[in-house]
Amino acid sequence: MPVQKFRSIEEMNKAALPADREPHFERFLRHCERYWAIAPKRYPRGVFKFRNIEEAQKAREKHSV
Amino acid sequence: MKWGTLCPVIDDARTTVRYSKLVDRNEILRALRAFETTGLEYVLIGAAAMGFHGLVRATEDLDLFIRATAENVERLRTALSVVYDDDPHIAEIVATDLLGEYPAVRYYPPTGDLYFDVLTRLGEAASFETIDAEVKDIDGTLVRVATPAALYKMKKGTVRLQDQADAAALRERFNLKDEE
Repeated sequence: MPVQKFRSIEEMNKAALPADREPHFERFLRHCERYWAIAPKRYPRGVFKFRNIEEAQKAREKHSV
Repeated sequence: MKWGTLCPVIDDARTTVRYSKLVDRNEILRALRAFETTGLEYVLIGAAAMGFHGLVRATEDLDLFIRATAENVERLRTALSVVYDDDPHIAEIVATDLLGEYPAVRYYPPTGDLYFDVLTRLGEAASFETIDAEVKDIDGTLVRVATPAALYKMKKGTVRLQDQADAAALRERFNLKDEE
């Protein structure tokens, strides 16, 4: 079903996506690939250590450029 | 050099910041294969785990809980060394940290495309032993993935907006209840 038609955006949002033809994880990998190509990031190298998840989250925000 | 509450051990190589090279989608697969080959005891959580369950969103990291033993940390180091060609920074991932004061370690490999968040515990609530998981197969590699309910449990109470969105998506897709 390559084309689906809807009378409203609500109807569109409720519509089920076409049945998967490949493993979910393959879609995930392809999606990440596109994302990384569109929005390349720069990271420092190495190992960083955190006492808790909150510290790790703050560092994530700091390093995502 | 100090990074706030981060580990203060910084060397010249670590301060080198650069843009990622050509994206390598197989980097994740290579890491998962190395985890299996080395016998690493881990559970995949985060966006990659959600991807296995059909909730696809992009991510920049691979999140995993590992069993908190010195032997398992050694397996992690071995696996990462295979994938990242013996990057000397991998030696900084040590059991005394992960089993002690630093239950969360982030590793930024030389490729720069992807990083790893390695956890041994999340507060008092979660650890490798307490996370329900199932085994998935991707290209012949067996991957231990947190169940949707386990992911929901971890994400629902956090303040991070992305986690809240993930929790909502998990709840809706898998008809999860708060008590699950």
